[in-house]
Amino acid sequence: MSAPELVTGIIMLAAIAAAPLVPGLIQQHKARLQGRVGTTALQPYRDLRRLWRKAVVQPAGTSVVYVLVPAMCAAALLAALLITPVGPSAPPFGVGHDALVLVGVLALARCIVALSAWDTGSGFGLMSAARDLTFAVLGEALIALVLLLAALPVGSTDLRAMWLGAAGSHIWTAPAHWCGLVGMLLIVMMETGRQPIDNPDTHLELTMVHEGPLLEYAGRDLAYLQWSVAARHWIVLVLLAGLFLPHPAGALIGPAVVVVWVVVLTVVLALIETFRAKLRLLVVPQLTAVVSLIGFVGVVSWVIGLGR
Amino acid sequence: MIGLVALIGVAMLAAGALAPCARIPVAAALWCQGIGLALAGAAGAVVLAGHAAVGSAFRSGIHPGVGIDALTGFFLVVIAVAALPVLVYAAGYLPGTPREGAVVGLTGAFLLALVGVVCARDAVGFLCCWELMTILPATAVLIARPDAHVRRAIFEYLAITHLAGVGVWIAVLVMAERGVLGGASLTADGSLVVAGVGIAALVGFGAKAGLVPLHVWLPRTHPVAPSHLSALMSGVMIKVALYGLIRICFWWMTPAPVWMGITLLVVGAISALGGISGALVQRELKRLLAYSSIENVGIITAGLGASIVLTRAGNPTWASIAFAAALLHTLNHAVMKAGLFLSAGSIERATGEHLVDHLGGLLKRMPWTGAACGVAILAIAGVPPLNGFVSEWLILESLLHAGVSGGTGAVVSSLVLAVVAATVGLALVCFVKLGGLALLGQPRSDGARGATEVDRPMRIGVVALAVMCLVLGVVPGVVLAPLMRILPGGSEGAPHALGIWLPGTGGLPVIGLVVVLVGGTVLLVRARGPRTAPAPVWNCGQVDEPALAWTGAGFTSALRLSFRGIVRTERTLERDHDAGIVQEVRYTQAVPNLFDTRVYHPLQRVALELAHLARRLQSGSLPTYVAYLVGLLIVLLVVARLVGG
Repeated sequence: MSAPELVTGIIMLAAIAAAPLVPGLIQQHKARLQGRVGTTALQPYRDLRRLWRKAVVQPAGTSVVYVLVPAMCAAALLAALLITPVGPSAPPFGVGHDALVLVGVLALARCIVALSAWDTGSGFGLMSAARDLTFAVLGEALIALVLLLAALPVGSTDLRAMWLGAAGSHIWTAPAHWCGLVGMLLIVMMETGRQPIDNPDTHLELTMVHEGPLLEYAGRDLAYLQWSVAARHWIVLVLLAGLFLPHPAGALIGPAVVVVWVVVLTVVLALIETFRAKLRLLVVPQLTAVVSLIGFVGVVSWVIGLGR
Repeated sequence: MIGLVALIGVAMLAAGALAPCARIPVAAALWCQGIGLALAGAAGAVVLAGHAAVGSAFRSGIHPGVGIDALTGFFLVVIAVAALPVLVYAAGYLPGTPREGAVVGLTGAFLLALVGVVCARDAVGFLCCWELMTILPATAVLIARPDAHVRRAIFEYLAITHLAGVGVWIAVLVMAERGVLGGASLTADGSLVVAGVGIAALVGFGAKAGLVPLHVWLPRTHPVAPSHLSALMSGVMIKVALYGLIRICFWWMTPAPVWMGITLLVVGAISALGGISGALVQRELKRLLAYSSIENVGIITAGLGASIVLTRAGNPTWASIAFAAALLHTLNHAVMKAGLFLSAGSIERATGEHLVDHLGGLLKRMPWTGAACGVAILAIAGVPPLNGFVSEWLILESLLHAGVSGGTGAVVSSLVLAVVAATVGLALVCFVKLGGLALLGQPRSDGARGATEVDRPMRIGVVALAVMCLVLGVVPGVVLAPLMRILPGGSEGAPHALGIWLPGTGGLPVIGLVVVLVGGTVLLVRARGPRTAPAPVWNCGQVDEPALAWTGAGFTSALRLSFRGIVRTERTLERDHDAGIVQEVRYTQAVPNLFDTRVYHPLQRVALELAHLARRLQSGSLPTYVAYLVGLLIVLLVVARLVGG
């Protein structure tokens, strides 16, 4: 095993433990920006420790689905995390590095969490799950177009090849890359459940999108689900940095730059959360459609040969 | 040898179809059909796995001929794999229903017609089996359920498939006349003939496959059939219709023009989107499943279109992958949809309910059927590691590579990629809703509350199909390798391992994914700890009232509001007043079918008006008719004089 492979592999495995730092950092920055003292970036770990000591619940009338969902959701996010490479020489971990497989695994997590809402029959969980899946419909179209934009220069959906295709400065002459960047920014906000799509701070029932089905869980089940949310943050931020932000092609320096980008992006997300209000529910699909159109324009610009 | 096995299989199938006439018990007849079908499927599998083609080759003359090549072999496998569990299921489902013997006989004859369509090697035999394939299930449905609304549905089915079926006759007969079936090239005849044959084939085969806008018969006919026939119609028959389209586009029209590829892409995308948005708003279980068949046929068609576009863009590797992807989705959808329709039949039998909103909690009450139905639902929702995900992944990858490869079709391909991705998202909503409403939560009606597990043959049929969903999902590479060799001139860059490794992708190592997913789930469930606190559902402190339970309409309401342009919900609110006090408020909502209100109703009106005009010619008096004849005679004489002179 070569040195870059080893380093990239260690970063990816360390991300399993470090993922909760990402939402922790965002919360910390946000508190500072809003003039509060706030918590430290380690707060998610304290939450997880507290949840780990508590008992899980078994709501009346639920089936085996309720028991399986948090574990399966965390396992799916673990697979997704291992699929997402931070550098071009990421070891395969037996799950490959395909972009569309990643989308499928994330869809699996979304699907089973929605099924858990049906299992408990809780109205708030179902309302949130329905919204989450509704956003995901046009979200899937947008993700497909954005991944196509990232795959255009290299002709492959191998995330490591796409990572290399986006490295360096020559790619920035293509308008397609800029269109992809715009699309990816929206995907980051949708997948992480951050403002202006969703507000992760409130548990106000009528506005929830991602939090709803989590309300019925407690103890370690909830810990699994919260780790999954943190892992989702890490995955989409690494994708944004690796596929659409400037980084060098070096197999050792590249992953380091990606990690730095993730830290910088926590500040960006905190800034957006501070200055943007949450969008109205029905505006989100419209926004997704418009951004998808931008992505399509990017594809057309590439096909007619602009900037390459 | 292989030909002999196939012939014995077909003979047993025919014997099984005729057996009810001789008052042989239904179960024995079904067994005979099943064994025959298994033999035919085995012969097909051997040819698919690389054996040389058996029987005669295609010929343009009128001498009958039958044969099996790799494509026919694949479709025989599809028919056998989907229909065998269906026959097992029928052994538990049919006894005790009205006219069971006739239905069993017609089921066997229908299967025979399906086998005949894919094995025929001459134009007459093909068209003969093609028409039988249309008529036999209609007859079986009418015999099993002679209600007025069933007759109406069957009439629409026959009307649309026969009117559009003219396209099949035109396409096949023109090609036979030009000797294309015998090996001549159609493209030598100029682009006008190619265009005519292509469009005729698309209309004819597309109508039978349920492609939008000729799909309206499908969601009406498939639900009224007995469940084992619904499974065969949705799982197998509409795929056999695609067989004709595949033969024409990839064998006889080669190289197919790029506009054909683009047309298939667009028609496929519209069908996929139209089908799934119809499925989203259905309340009846089987009708929802029928709409989802339209979606899947659309996805398969888009894959075929991508293959043509990729061929034309000079990417033969991905052209053969796209073709194999479309075939794999054909097989996968046959398995999942047969499983879902059979589950629907079991659920209807056990609960007496056919509305999705009246089910609920069936996973606990019907553990075998419920679990199998859940697997099929997850498979068709397209989540890994089940079979639906594999083929949808391959088709999305093909569309993406068609977008990458440049050329004329790249822009269309990328648009279709986005549409198919959105379709997959919609399918997730649709089937999460179905699974949640039917299998999970609390029962929503007395029927669902009293449901018990069905008889053993019915359980075996459904579970076998669910197991196949798992197997095809976990080792797709084994199936994909022979499929990539089917296309003439197809690439040999076949995937080797159990997973799928293709150039230009990051690979789909399903085994690795399964290890992480299942292993992770098992470990984490064990680490969850034994301490569980029984509690009521929290629901933010609200009391769990059955009247407040969520319905399917509630679950899709955000989606319907977001897509107001396509899904137009109609609401009515009625208030009963008595002395100024509101006594009762009734709220109904329904989603009308846009194709009915915008396309078919105006067409129907125009047709009726024309018929009204034509009726004026029919005065009923003899002198008028004599005048018509004399007039016609004069006109003919004048024409003959002008032309002849």
